[in-house]
Amino acid sequence: MQLVLLGDSGVGKSCIVLRFVRGQFDATSKVTVGASFLSQTIALQDSTTVKFEIWDTAGQERYSALAPLYYRGAGVAVIVYDITSPESFKKAQYWVKELQKHGSPDIVMALVGNKADLHEKREVPTEDGMELAEKNGMFFIETSAKTADNINQLFEEIGKRLPRPTPPS
Amino acid sequence: MLLSLVSKRSLEVDSRDAYGFALRPQHVQRYQEYVSIYTEEETERAEKWQNFLDRQESVAEPCSSEEEFQDTFQADGSDSGEESASEEDSRNEKQDSGSSKLDGLEVQHLEKDSNETVGELSKEKEVAEEAHVLDEHQILRETSLGEKSESVKDEAEQSDTDKEKESSVESESDEEKQSQPVKEAIDLNHVEIQQENETEEPVPEAEKCGVDDEKTQKETKSRSVIEWAHIRPCLKSIEAMMCSRVKNVKYMQNKQQTIAGDHASSLASIEESEQNSMENDRDSETFTSRSHSIKEEHDAQSNVSPEPFFPWYEELEVLVRLGVPKDLRGEVWQAFVGVKARRVERYYQDLLAQITDSDESSSDVQRKWKKQIEKDIPRTFPGHPALNENGRDSLRRILLAYACHNPSVGYCQAMNFFAGLLLLLMPEENAFWTLVGIIDDYFDGYYTEEMIESQVDQLVFEELMRERFPKLVNHLDYLGVQVAWISGPWFLSIFVNIIPWECVLRMWDVLLFEGNRVVLFRTAFALMELYGPAIVATQDAGDAITSLQSLASSTFDSSQLVLTACMGYISTNEARLEELRKIHRPAVLEIVEERIQKGRVWKDKKGLASKLYSFKHEGSILDEQKPPQRTDGENPDDDESRSPNFSMNLDGANVDSEVDSLPDLQEQVVWMKVELCRLLEEKRSAVMRAEELEIALMEMVKEDNRLELSAKIEQLEKEVRELKQVLSDKKEQETAMLQVLMKVEQDQKLTEDARISAEQDAAAQRYAAHVLQEKNEKLVTQLAQMEKKLVTAETTLEATLQYESGQNKALSSPRFPRPAPESPKKKTGFLSFGLGWRDRNKAKQPEESNSINTSNATSEVKSPSKESKTEDLLNPETRR
Ligand SMILES: Nc1nc2c(ncn2[C@@H]2O[C@H](COP(=O)(O)OP(=O)(O)OP(=O)(O)O)[C@@H](O)[C@H]2O)c(=O)[nH]1
Ligand SMILES: [Mg+2]
Repeated sequence: MQLVLLGDSGVGKSCIVLRFVRGQFDATSKVTVGASFLSQTIALQDSTTVKFEIWDTAGQERYSALAPLYYRGAGVAVIVYDITSPESFKKAQYWVKELQKHGSPDIVMALVGNKADLHEKREVPTEDGMELAEKNGMFFIETSAKTADNINQLFEEIGKRLPRPTPPS
Repeated sequence: MLLSLVSKRSLEVDSRDAYGFALRPQHVQRYQEYVSIYTEEETERAEKWQNFLDRQESVAEPCSSEEEFQDTFQADGSDSGEESASEEDSRNEKQDSGSSKLDGLEVQHLEKDSNETVGELSKEKEVAEEAHVLDEHQILRETSLGEKSESVKDEAEQSDTDKEKESSVESESDEEKQSQPVKEAIDLNHVEIQQENETEEPVPEAEKCGVDDEKTQKETKSRSVIEWAHIRPCLKSIEAMMCSRVKNVKYMQNKQQTIAGDHASSLASIEESEQNSMENDRDSETFTSRSHSIKEEHDAQSNVSPEPFFPWYEELEVLVRLGVPKDLRGEVWQAFVGVKARRVERYYQDLLAQITDSDESSSDVQRKWKKQIEKDIPRTFPGHPALNENGRDSLRRILLAYACHNPSVGYCQAMNFFAGLLLLLMPEENAFWTLVGIIDDYFDGYYTEEMIESQVDQLVFEELMRERFPKLVNHLDYLGVQVAWISGPWFLSIFVNIIPWECVLRMWDVLLFEGNRVVLFRTAFALMELYGPAIVATQDAGDAITSLQSLASSTFDSSQLVLTACMGYISTNEARLEELRKIHRPAVLEIVEERIQKGRVWKDKKGLASKLYSFKHEGSILDEQKPPQRTDGENPDDDESRSPNFSMNLDGANVDSEVDSLPDLQEQVVWMKVELCRLLEEKRSAVMRAEELEIALMEMVKEDNRLELSAKIEQLEKEVRELKQVLSDKKEQETAMLQVLMKVEQDQKLTEDARISAEQDAAAQRYAAHVLQEKNEKLVTQLAQMEKKLVTAETTLEATLQYESGQNKALSSPRFPRPAPESPKKKTGFLSFGLGWRDRNKAKQPEESNSINTSNATSEVKSPSKESKTEDLLNPETRR
């Protein structure tokens, strides 16, 4: 299942992927140039497995010119913002629109408010995220790559929401 | 340059390589294995370079004789104290080679306007580091002249020794040179300075205030790694060659004027310089012809590709492919990029001053760059020992200065890595100018807001991949993997963080030497060649990408990679790439245009929607009126000039606040109209161009196809013939095999038969053995019984004997008449039994024990002698 991570630079996309795939958090991650790829397989509760092929894209605005290359064929799009940065939330809204227009029509979308551990610096209320997600039929979750909070849940929930390839009955 | 400050020890601590870059844990061991190879290669290439540079210098030697200095000073030394300072320096050097070489390396330009004192810029630490590589004496011979005259001199010398090759170019001065090489060199030197003055003329105020600034700065700032340093003299001839291909000198000088003229109002200056940059894109085409009138000699060099003038070009190319020695790399790179020709005195300092001045007044775009740079600085080679607080400050300054210098690029993620890398190899200002060369020239249009050239290169690369690796690409298609997913990040990062550092640096050596992006394609091909087979074996997209990534990141054999790239893909050259780029560019431009329009629609939310809508309508009317006026000013077919326009558009389109901050709606209207017109005009010309290109392409394809097809048919026929041959061979082999097989089968049958009969025999024998065994057991039990009986018989016998003897004694008595005839009967009965057992055993006749008695009589009769023996055997006591 091809998954693409989109969102403003520095919101923690690379950290989320690294946390999910390698179980690590590196406070000094590397800037992503272009895009980078990692894959991870998880088992769902109904004992099926999902292999996520994750494209972590570069966040700077101009790199969004290259984003279609990666989201066009993707089955899942995870749009990430930073709960301490309203600007990144705006950017998330932009991505929602962009995907609705140019993504594949049955793409599964998730909205992620990252850096939930920095709640004392929070500037984007949880409700705002919820509302945006609800309006656009997205799954919403707040995560922290630093504490690993909700990271696995994020991907498990996505796994549950995937259309089954062939019903096992 | 920062790298020289890093101690070896600190590198070894947390699994970092010789350059201080982190190694992935899974690669530590392989890296260790390659360290010795790297060291070996390093020694070898250090030797070769040394040898090469020595020869370079010995060619130039006659020029830098003592008299020559005198001549130079007589010619130039009158108007400032600077030359006498350098004269002193040169004398010092002659007296004390140990310390003076430091100053020697720092000798300043012989520019008239420069009031800097020689030696002030010396940076003992670094120089001391580097200088040991070089032969001191040669440094001394070379250093004492300013770099301008030096480079020209070298060229003059070159032409002197190889004058047959060059006579066509510099024929007028050839004779003169032959007789008076020294004088010629000086003449050229004057010419060069003259020209330099001319080009700098537009900015005299800037120079003057720059000088004042610098004087105050010198007192206040610590200047360790920040300031400009010249490269070592033995590289001057290389530098001169490379500088000759730098055509955009004018570009920078125009900009400097802009910046120097307006420090405070940065927004205005940005706009202005943006315009300048657009003009300059067009200017650069005509620049060479303009300078033609200024000086012929110089022009001849900048117009033609450098190779013909430099007979050692090919030798250098080979050396570069073998790698540039570590100690020389920083300077060699600067020479390759032609930093000397690009640099404008004080420009960097002015940019820095502007940055600090304009903290509050900076535009939104600038603030955005700044923010992004701040985000990225801690994420640039995190943990690198050299990128401490000071290192990061340097990095920040370079990136900010670059963003100011070229607003059409500003700051783009990836540049942080490039600047960081350069900072490790050279002083800050040198790194800045090298970065300028790379981004403005080598990667022109790559890192701009739309990244047009980057996208074009991806299309070109994919096409070439299909041509060269059809099987691999087919497999990737089948897996649903797009080539650009992988190659995009490779190209954009220039392989930084993609392949091991040794490879990155060696690839950059070639890249900077060649002056174009060809080696990016070649390296990518080499990687595909190396790892294609592994990719073709994968069965899912994720595995394919993962394995390619991890294989690429473990390419420690840098020589193999670089040589495969450079030798294996010679047909991929700049001309071919340019051709393909021209074909693919229109498609990218179209998409970019769409995006820009989409970007505007996105702005609808901001309340501009309805207005925009009406502009569009008006625009279509304007469209019919305006274009004719514009075409005379601009060349619509010039793709180069278009990219900066686009970046302007997007700058405007993407930054909401910039749009919002425009004071007047009326202004917005005008702006929108102009933009729209330009877009429409561009679109139209692009469409026209596309059509033209399509036609041209179709023709080319037709031509190409015919040739290619016939060649292919021939090849295929040949292949068919070969295959047929192989097939008949195979058939022969097959029949032979069949015969052998049949023989083997027959043999097998025979052995099978033999085996079966043997088995039957074996079974029969087994059965017989079994029967015998049974008999044996029975007989043993019988024997035991008989023994018992025998014992009883014996006792009976004894008793009988006793009785008989008793009887005999009492024979006279008539009371016991009967037992006498009975006893012999009994005795034979026992004996015959024993015999019977023996006989039966011999004859192997299975007999019922009941019948024993029946045979008694006969055996008794037949073998009376045996009887006695048996009796002995069975009854040994009886013999006694
Ligand atoms: N406190 C906190 N910091 C985080 C978290 N996730 C990421 N960060 C920090 O945010 C910085 C940026 O994270 P990245 O993952 O590199 O950001 P990115 O979205 O990949 O950025 P680009 O590659 O530029 O697009 C990291 O250096 C981390 O220090 C989190 O959950 N909590
Ligand atoms: Mg990232």
